[in-house]
Amino acid sequence: MIRLFNWFRRGSLERGLDRELQYHFDRRVADLAAAGISEPEARRRVAIELGLAQVREEVRDVWLTRWSRDFLYDLRFSARSFLRSPAFTAATLLSLALGIGATTAIYSLVDQVILHALPVREPERLVLVDWKGDHVVGGFGSFNLMPYPLCRDLQQQIRVFDGVLCRSDEVPVNLSAGGDPKPVSAEVVSGSYFSVLGVGPALGRVIEAEDDSAPGASPIVVLSYDFWQAQFGAAPDIIGRKVLINQHPMTIVGVAAREFHGVDIGVVPALWLPAAMYAQAIPGIYDEHLLQSPTRWMQILGSLRPGLTLAQAQAGLQPWFKTWLEENMRRTGFPAITADRRRRYFASSLRLAPAPQGYSPLRRSLSQPLWILFAVTDVLLGLACLNVAGLFLARGSARGREIGTRLALGASRSRIGRQLLADNVLLALTGGTLGILLAPFAVRALIAFLPGNYADAHALRSAVSLRLLVFAFLVSLAAGLASGIAPALHVGRDSLISGLRERASTAFGGVRLRKCIITLQVAFSLILVVGAALFLRTLNDLLAKGSGFDTSRLVSFSLAPQKNGYSRADSARLIRLIDNDVRALPITRSSAVARYALLTGGSWSNPFTIQAGRRIVTDHDIQENAISPGFFATLGVHILAGRNFDERDIRPAGEIGRRSAVVNQAFVRRYLAGVDPLGVRIGEGSYPDVKPEIVIVGVVADFSYRNLREDSEQAFFPIFEGDDFAGTFYVKVRGTAEQAFQSIRQIVRDADSQLPILSFRTLDDQINRSLNTERMLAALSGAFGALALLLSLIGLYGVMSFVVTRRTREIGIRLALGATGGSAIRLVLRDAVAMIAAGMAIALPCVAVLGKLVQSQLFGVTATDPATVAAAVLVLAAGALAAAFIPAWRASNVSPTDALRLE
Amino acid sequence: MPSPRFPIPQGTLDMLILQILSLEPAHGYGIAQRLEQISRSVVQVNQGSLYPALHRLQQKGWLRAEWKQSETGREAKFYSLTAAGRRQLAVEKDSWARLSGAVNLIFEERSR
Repeated sequence: MIRLFNWFRRGSLERGLDRELQYHFDRRVADLAAAGISEPEARRRVAIELGLAQVREEVRDVWLTRWSRDFLYDLRFSARSFLRSPAFTAATLLSLALGIGATTAIYSLVDQVILHALPVREPERLVLVDWKGDHVVGGFGSFNLMPYPLCRDLQQQIRVFDGVLCRSDEVPVNLSAGGDPKPVSAEVVSGSYFSVLGVGPALGRVIEAEDDSAPGASPIVVLSYDFWQAQFGAAPDIIGRKVLINQHPMTIVGVAAREFHGVDIGVVPALWLPAAMYAQAIPGIYDEHLLQSPTRWMQILGSLRPGLTLAQAQAGLQPWFKTWLEENMRRTGFPAITADRRRRYFASSLRLAPAPQGYSPLRRSLSQPLWILFAVTDVLLGLACLNVAGLFLARGSARGREIGTRLALGASRSRIGRQLLADNVLLALTGGTLGILLAPFAVRALIAFLPGNYADAHALRSAVSLRLLVFAFLVSLAAGLASGIAPALHVGRDSLISGLRERASTAFGGVRLRKCIITLQVAFSLILVVGAALFLRTLNDLLAKGSGFDTSRLVSFSLAPQKNGYSRADSARLIRLIDNDVRALPITRSSAVARYALLTGGSWSNPFTIQAGRRIVTDHDIQENAISPGFFATLGVHILAGRNFDERDIRPAGEIGRRSAVVNQAFVRRYLAGVDPLGVRIGEGSYPDVKPEIVIVGVVADFSYRNLREDSEQAFFPIFEGDDFAGTFYVKVRGTAEQAFQSIRQIVRDADSQLPILSFRTLDDQINRSLNTERMLAALSGAFGALALLLSLIGLYGVMSFVVTRRTREIGIRLALGATGGSAIRLVLRDAVAMIAAGMAIALPCVAVLGKLVQSQLFGVTATDPATVAAAVLVLAAGALAAAFIPAWRASNVSPTDALRLE
Repeated sequence: MPSPRFPIPQGTLDMLILQILSLEPAHGYGIAQRLEQISRSVVQVNQGSLYPALHRLQQKGWLRAEWKQSETGREAKFYSLTAAGRRQLAVEKDSWARLSGAVNLIFEERSR
């Protein structure tokens, strides 16, 4: 560091050294003169003795090592020469800034979503405990769901774990702290949660083991730091304050550490509740004894004992798990199962997976698209580097004389090569700085593209972190070295003499290298163009497929009265009341209620038993929904056979279970082929004691439930049968969505002024949101593909122009000897075609391999779809030939006399 | 200048400079002269190599330098030992004594 400082004060250091040496010189000369030697002779001797030039160099080496001194001089020289050619500098800088900026932006998301370890104690010891095999018992939530008793019992396995925690998926709760209830997200966690993670309070205390003892016994809340700041203005007296969670009084006991945002990246909980408060947190839960029951609703994370490998831990758990499975079968709520099912149940095992980054459904759904985009930007960055290398080679041939002169004066090839490398590194670092400045905007745009509301939830950040800076710096350095290595190695390959001769054309090897570069560029851009075409087709096909229902002027909103303290019956009554009022609105064309919302990615699903002649069990879950009679009409879904629900389907009081169902076409196709579906009896569940008593009364056309991609088998039941507590309304309106919102809000307010309206949206908007990942992939890969194409076409054009200029004389002679313009064009194009063909030959096998990796992201098209690949090849070939044709055309117009006069 | 004198090993030069400066501050030319005298012209010190050594020692923080009037009345750059330099000299003296002692032992072993 001191040495770098020396660079900046080298002027004064030099002056000091000069004075010092001068003193020595003069004294020595004086002494020798005093000894009787003539002054000129004394001067000569002292000059030899001291070796002034040598001493100066050696002292400078002490100030700053030779290498870094040269490098700093090189950088200064580079900067000056760049300032002299602004067009060249701008072109290269832009290439690099785009490449580095895009890579950094995508990496920012890759890092946040996939790579970043949780800010907890020893995250590397965290493992996700998963159940491999037949669970038998159902559950609610996203993935890797486990029953609470398993979590509690695993905590006793101290030979394997230092601690075990479990947590629910994000739960929306209504929080009122004085004012109107507000929907916020909560994480329901075991008492061990904070202690296992090693996360402490910023204020007060966190949830502890005792808070988890008995259901309903510990009405306490721990706030997240950000929520405390945003909603309570960081009030220091927050501890002990009473709030209502879903209308249940609870006490705030603490605020969690500032940097901790839960274990699920992508969701930022506003608060944490102890698992013992499940009934208050998740009202309307069908299982009354979650802490004792085999129902699966939580993810389990454990902290491995130090020194234990994953495999050892996993093996150590299995014998214990076998006995646990026995115990679990005896729990209330465990169904009767067949011998075969029993065998599969007992074949289950526990699997451990490293989870230093916590647990995240977002990561599950996004990691593949993000890796794809990261790979795409890497290819783009590679292309930008190739482009810069090409530009440098071109400049290198223009600078041939300068370099030749320096070589002739005794500069070593490695010294000049280093100079060229300094050029590239300076350029890349400047480009990287520009890229970093662009990155936050790019990240913000990317986050807006993501499905869900991550920007609003502050789950993902667009700020540039230190990690990101380091990454961008390394990428820039790598880009500088990569783009500089070819030109640097190439220095002085040509003979000195030819370099110095005035006219002599330069660099044959240069052209060969540039042709290799163009070939690679063609290959890279073909890969990107094919990718872009695939993702565009995917988006297009999904949009063309549509949801299967008529979304125009269709709006939806949800109500969850149980979170405001309603009982099930009251809740159902309220929803029915509001449904009636909404239907009576002048702005309403038609309106309906469904128990579960469409296109949210989630659903209610179960296996079914079908009695159609013989008894069969569905091989996978059927998506279910409970709906009011107007549902199909409001969505514009046609009834293909049978009838809609009507008063016949209303159960007499006291009767339990459903009477009738409507299934969709996909259900009939898969399970009732060749059978008249009407009148067939089905039952919910797959166990032998299931009685198929529900009669199929109608068949409807297929439409999307969880998302646009899936064609699922669906079954519908009448709503308002007493056990439906929440509802999503679908309203076909006459006016605009805003007008509808005004009237609907009034109705809800009249019914209960405390009840929040959740997610009011148009269906078009929902479809758009559900396609966000696809749109992101299509838009970005399309933009990157176009950019790549442009870069390589410019490169191709540059090289071909250079070749034509160099061969002007040869072409002139050919034309003078009677060759036609057409043959001159062919002569030049032959070169270009060879490069293009070679590039494609490299790219196509890569497309085949890479295609396998992206297949799961595609829809309606295979990764090696011949038509798509052919179209991409055609576009690239046409563009490339056009780029090469311009120089070729110029070649054919060479006037023989001019060309010869050049000599 | 034909000479039967030894070229001086680099590390030794550093130690000698520290030793000379431990007696009193001196400028480059003074140190060169002192070296000549002390070593009774047995050891050959290239006058030029003195300066890189001085700057290296200064950079390491063992020497400090200031411009002062010299005995001729002209300004010269005087070097003096810092506390760290004094410690370093002790360390080097010690290791030199051990090294030369060990070498002597080996020689005596041979001659016996």
